[in-house]
Amino acid sequence: MLRLHVLALAALLCACSKKEEPPPAGAPGTATAQQPAKAPIPVGLVIDVGGRGDHSFNDAALRGLELYAAGKRYEGGKYVDASPEEIRQSLPPFLASLSSSIQPLPVKPMVLQSKAQEDYAPNLQLLVDQGAQLTIGNGYMLANAVRTAAQENPKSQFLLIDSQVLDAQGKVLKLPNVRTVLFKEQEGSFLVGALAGLVTKTNKVGFVGGIEVPLIQRFEVGYRAGVKTTNPQAAQALMAVYTGSFNNMAAGKQVAQDLIAKGADILFHAAGADGIGVIQAVKEARAAGKSVYAIGVDSDQSHVAPDAILTSMMKFTDLAIYQATKDLVDGKFSAGEQVVGLKENGVGMAEVRVDFPNKAEALQKVDALRQRIVSGQLQVPAVPGDLATFQAAAP
Amino acid sequence: MPERLRQALPSVLSVLLALAVCWSLIALTMTPGTATAAYVEMLWGGIGNWPAWLNGAAATVITRPLGEAAMKAALLTLTGLSVAVAFKVGLFNIGAQGQMILGALAAAVVGAHVSLPAVLHIPAALVAAALAGAAWAGLAALLKLYRGVHEVISTIMLNWVALRLVDNWLVIGPLRGVAEGGQSITGTAEIQATATLPRLLGELSRLNLGFPLALLLAVVVWLWLERTRTGFETRAVGLGAEAARTAGVPVAKRTGVAMALAGAMAGLAGAVLVLGTEGRYPGTLGAPYGFDGIAIALIGNNHPLGAMGAALFFGVLRAGGTRMQLLDVHKSFPELIQGLALLFVAGRMVWLALLRRHEAAASVASVEVPRA
Repeated sequence: MLRLHVLALAALLCACSKKEEPPPAGAPGTATAQQPAKAPIPVGLVIDVGGRGDHSFNDAALRGLELYAAGKRYEGGKYVDASPEEIRQSLPPFLASLSSSIQPLPVKPMVLQSKAQEDYAPNLQLLVDQGAQLTIGNGYMLANAVRTAAQENPKSQFLLIDSQVLDAQGKVLKLPNVRTVLFKEQEGSFLVGALAGLVTKTNKVGFVGGIEVPLIQRFEVGYRAGVKTTNPQAAQALMAVYTGSFNNMAAGKQVAQDLIAKGADILFHAAGADGIGVIQAVKEARAAGKSVYAIGVDSDQSHVAPDAILTSMMKFTDLAIYQATKDLVDGKFSAGEQVVGLKENGVGMAEVRVDFPNKAEALQKVDALRQRIVSGQLQVPAVPGDLATFQAAAP
Repeated sequence: MPERLRQALPSVLSVLLALAVCWSLIALTMTPGTATAAYVEMLWGGIGNWPAWLNGAAATVITRPLGEAAMKAALLTLTGLSVAVAFKVGLFNIGAQGQMILGALAAAVVGAHVSLPAVLHIPAALVAAALAGAAWAGLAALLKLYRGVHEVISTIMLNWVALRLVDNWLVIGPLRGVAEGGQSITGTAEIQATATLPRLLGELSRLNLGFPLALLLAVVVWLWLERTRTGFETRAVGLGAEAARTAGVPVAKRTGVAMALAGAMAGLAGAVLVLGTEGRYPGTLGAPYGFDGIAIALIGNNHPLGAMGAALFFGVLRAGGTRMQLLDVHKSFPELIQGLALLFVAGRMVWLALLRRHEAAASVASVEVPRA
């Protein structure tokens, strides 16, 4: 009886709003590879509270799914088709060759921005319920939410960027429907370190980290190894400081000012928003007549301060997301742990846009090192313990 | 018109007006069809997609949205109560956010580092959270009573102290969870299974014990305020401290107790968040439910049950609002509706004047005293 009433009410509601159930969404739970060939495959992405337009981590993920995978651009709340030219422009020069292999796939992006930490799990679940065959959690903040969603939806596939899945005791958990992608930050950091060793005039370089966790230590260790390879003297005097946060610009700026006062002329940061403070400090020091550079992180941060940024250590989460989407479309998606470095285009050094003496020669040397890492001749250490024994012939 | 209805009417009208304004905004920037569809999506996302269920979809299309709405409603009820209780004693508690942060941390610590059977562990964690929140609010009360510091100033400042102390030091420093192999994780260690609030519908939704707890507390607080001597004295202090003092009410004691109770409510909101869904104190604590509590209390006319009603409504709205994004409607609209409703409620006198004119036009001679 009650059900009948509800039915009547529902019929009434449906009558006044025919649009609320868009046909492509389909009935939840039936979206396993039985789509007709032409219907786009729904792929979900949950980004964190930073939201769209952070010029960094979230935008990279959106680029991977929307621009690369779906061939769309998000404009004024709608998707418009993007031209191949836009894809080419979004890639750094040394990856320009990839632009031909990035072809739009028949996927429909479904993006949910989260308003709070506790929204991650329901947002992932909602995308699964909406028929997403692959649901992407962008960033290690979503690790727990992905664990919950993957366990509750064993038939759906998940991709987790930048973290493994951990259980309640902090042990690594292997789930049959989750692919995790980790990046060899040390390899990209090695290259920017090698460049810093070649460019420094004071033979003093600095590193500003955020919170001293293993992830950030990988940046420092790779950087140290790179400096040691091209400039052993500067490696001896390398100064590394951790601010203890990722969202405190003032702390980053203060630390950077200290390092500059102590004579460092190149500062590499891996400190999130604190790093913006580092770049500011460098910018101000340059305005005061000092010849100092900052090295950006994650994205090409050159646009933040074009004169002051020597280069950036880039993490290609966009390409990792494109690859996973392509694997899904090709029916080759596999769970498991991916670790990507220079060789797999997981990390890299951004284009050097500033001028300094012997630029061409320095870039040549760095590229030689890059090739040695790619070919496997050179193993970059990832943990502080391996640093002491690390030796690499100067290029 | 009955007095009780008259009190609730401005809030209801404000909410409806806010809904209408936001609908128009979406309709203007997109299409009226999209706006309607977005509202329907929001409704299904808040109370469950009944048509889909009747068409044979799994029960989770109803239980999951309801669970999310209930979770948000529980948090909003508790922070709303926090602000409302302080209002009753004449204090404006802007500090619910800070009290919630302290409560969440206390719950996370007791949940993770104390070993007890579930029957004791959950109450222990809840009590710890309530005490932490009460202590934090108590600081503001002490400053008010013994130093004359205005509670608006002190609670705002204590919010920042709490945020810096917990988010920027304890959670990333001494209390940070450690993973095997040095993996980086955010937040404190995961709470033990015995401290997790039981889910009322099992795997079907995240609905947990926090929701009935919040509703129960709303009723208890209401009964306390309306039906007990201490509650009456508390309200008397709020209506006029000097008059209450003359009548023999221990003003300092009532103020301190009410403020501590307000802090305890906010602290419990933090506990429900940590023990119910997060499982740990996360890297940064959720949405600013503490500040939302101010809106909830005001829309609920500072009445415990009114706050509960407002929280239920906005819980549904907020839980369902995420779904608007599926239609490319911006994620902020649910908050916008809440903010506009608050703005319109603030224009309460205008509503009352309009209502009076309407009644006068209907030639009903009213002898009621207009209420501010």
